[in-house]
Amino acid sequence: MAVTRMHNTLSKSHVMADRMATVNRLEEVVSTSDEFDQVVSQALPVLLDRATGYTKRFLRETGQWSDDIEHEKFALRWGSEYLERFLVCGRSEVPCRPLFLFDSLVAKQHSKPEPFCYHPDLLRPLGRYLDGLVARAVVSRDALIALYHHSYGWGAGDVIAVTGLNGLESQRIYKNFRRWRESGWQRTMDEVGLTKAELAELGQQQQRHRQRFNSEAERLIRVAQSHYRKSEPDHYPCLSRSQWGDMFTQGYGCDYRIWHLALCLDCMQTAWGLGSSGSLTGEKPRLELQMRP
Amino acid sequence: MGHEEELDAYRSQLLESLNSRPAIRSWSDPIQVYINERRVGELEGAGIGATLQVQCVDHIETVQLRAEDGTLLGGLTAPECGYRTDRVQISADTVELSVHNMAQGGTLSALFTPAPSFWSRAWKSIADVTDRVVARRPEPALAYGMRMVAFTQALLAIAVVGLVTDRITTGRTSDRTPSPVVQTATLSPAPVADMAKFEQQLDELARMQAKVDDALGSQQKGVVQLQQALVKLSSTQESFESNVLTVREEIEKRLEMVGRETDRQTRQMASRGRVEQEQLEAAIQNLTADNHRLSKEVVSLEEYNQGLKTKLQTAVASASKGVDPSPERLLKMADSLQATQQQMPFLFWVTFSDGTSQESIDKWVYEKQGHKGAVSEGWQEVRIVPPAVPPDRFLEQIRGEKIVKAARISQ
Repeated sequence: MAVTRMHNTLSKSHVMADRMATVNRLEEVVSTSDEFDQVVSQALPVLLDRATGYTKRFLRETGQWSDDIEHEKFALRWGSEYLERFLVCGRSEVPCRPLFLFDSLVAKQHSKPEPFCYHPDLLRPLGRYLDGLVARAVVSRDALIALYHHSYGWGAGDVIAVTGLNGLESQRIYKNFRRWRESGWQRTMDEVGLTKAELAELGQQQQRHRQRFNSEAERLIRVAQSHYRKSEPDHYPCLSRSQWGDMFTQGYGCDYRIWHLALCLDCMQTAWGLGSSGSLTGEKPRLELQMRP
Repeated sequence: MGHEEELDAYRSQLLESLNSRPAIRSWSDPIQVYINERRVGELEGAGIGATLQVQCVDHIETVQLRAEDGTLLGGLTAPECGYRTDRVQISADTVELSVHNMAQGGTLSALFTPAPSFWSRAWKSIADVTDRVVARRPEPALAYGMRMVAFTQALLAIAVVGLVTDRITTGRTSDRTPSPVVQTATLSPAPVADMAKFEQQLDELARMQAKVDDALGSQQKGVVQLQQALVKLSSTQESFESNVLTVREEIEKRLEMVGRETDRQTRQMASRGRVEQEQLEAAIQNLTADNHRLSKEVVSLEEYNQGLKTKLQTAVASASKGVDPSPERLLKMADSLQATQQQMPFLFWVTFSDGTSQESIDKWVYEKQGHKGAVSEGWQEVRIVPPAVPPDRFLEQIRGEKIVKAARISQ
């Protein structure tokens, strides 16, 4: 027993010493991009913990923190997000001291208004699922196109009809769907930390109370969409039906349609039926959440 | 699973994904371009030399390149002011990023260069060899043309050398195998003539090459001068445009200010004029009413004054004449007194029936040729020219009128 305890103590002190050495190395100047990659790739756990700690502190200071696993996961997720950006963009800053550069990057993120989409309801499994989908749609076109499927249950053909796309764009939609099914969805679930058990539980809830589940999903997805729509280009505001009509009939704004209609439930209802030359004359679409890709 | 274990598992998963970061990108997929985490467009992944130019109102802080599946392929952090360029390697392809931040906003230029194909690599190797042959490093703009010329020259030289060798070999073979006389006589001088011819051609070729080199050199200089001129021109144009913009903004500002000031003054003057007009109208109305009232009072006062004067004259005459006035004189005095009394206004008080309008009252007073006086406890004072009939009878007449409720002389 005593031997085991001593072994644990020794192991802990060894880990601490390693950590200190890594931090010291991160504080030194790196001169080339390759050197940067090498130093940083060896210090990923240290940097992840550091970014997570900063995010926790930000949440505490802004009165948004609670001591529960949901908040811990949220802080970890955003710490990882900052670290990913640092790994890619930090290379262009050499020569630099990686640790200080990383600290400044996180501080810059936290000095922005609403650096991330925080809402207590978005930390629960359903909220996390929706937040993950919409957040991913902002950086991934596969996820963006898949959002039509997850929100309304449409396939690639429906998406092409609703958004009024031409032949060239249509091929791309099929590829987006395929990639999302193959790897994109699972990767997103991993990133938001949704376990299989949580996904199964969500599926059961949906089966038991479909209407209530969908209306709750609609409420939460609106919160997420209104935050993440800020990542759209500046010139993509909501439009009236006649303005959407002009865009569809004259065939411009292909990107506008794909991006905005996926991220705005209201505009989808407004522009319903314009892209299909009258073939979609049914009831306006309501949110019917699809859990699986 | 406990919370700690679940968190550890999640943390490990995130670290693993950060370590691997697989980029699933087929050769034809576009690359999404983000500025300050906001999507601004895409680079055609299949195009040779696809470019994207973006001008932002705000400073560019970060540029990110992402695959269709969202993988972060590369990016850079831009300085607050000035230039930053970076070359992002995506598999074998390259994206050259160039950011320029100015006082007002920034610009991004992204150039996609796909990995070279087999044939382009082969072509490049040949071009490198020929470059080494000509031992020159031309400007990029001229590189292609120079390489073509050099390559053609090299091929020509090889062909000429081959032909010469062939001829020499043929000549030697002919020497070793003696032929009929005619043949030796005709064949032996041929290689010598050919050799001279080829030498001449080689000389010409060398001269041509020298000329081409000279021409290329002068062209190169010309291009450099042209580029310098273009740079100057573009900087002049930029400064001119910025000056024009500044002047235009200044003019617009001034026009706007002048317009606003004029509008404000006009509005102020108009409102002041309206107020003054209204005040003037009210004053005129008041003055008219006062004037009317005063003229009436003046008339009545003059009448009263006249009566008093007459009375005074009579009294003075009586006093000066002393006693014993004649009966004729007394009669005259009585007449004059009566006349004076008649000239004095007759005053009485009247009340009107319930519901009589003010208009009817005014009309009634007007018919009596009277003037309204004070109102006291419902009684209206009325002054008229003394009636021809005695006061009691007059009052009786008045009381008989429809709108009159009661009438009396004393207050």
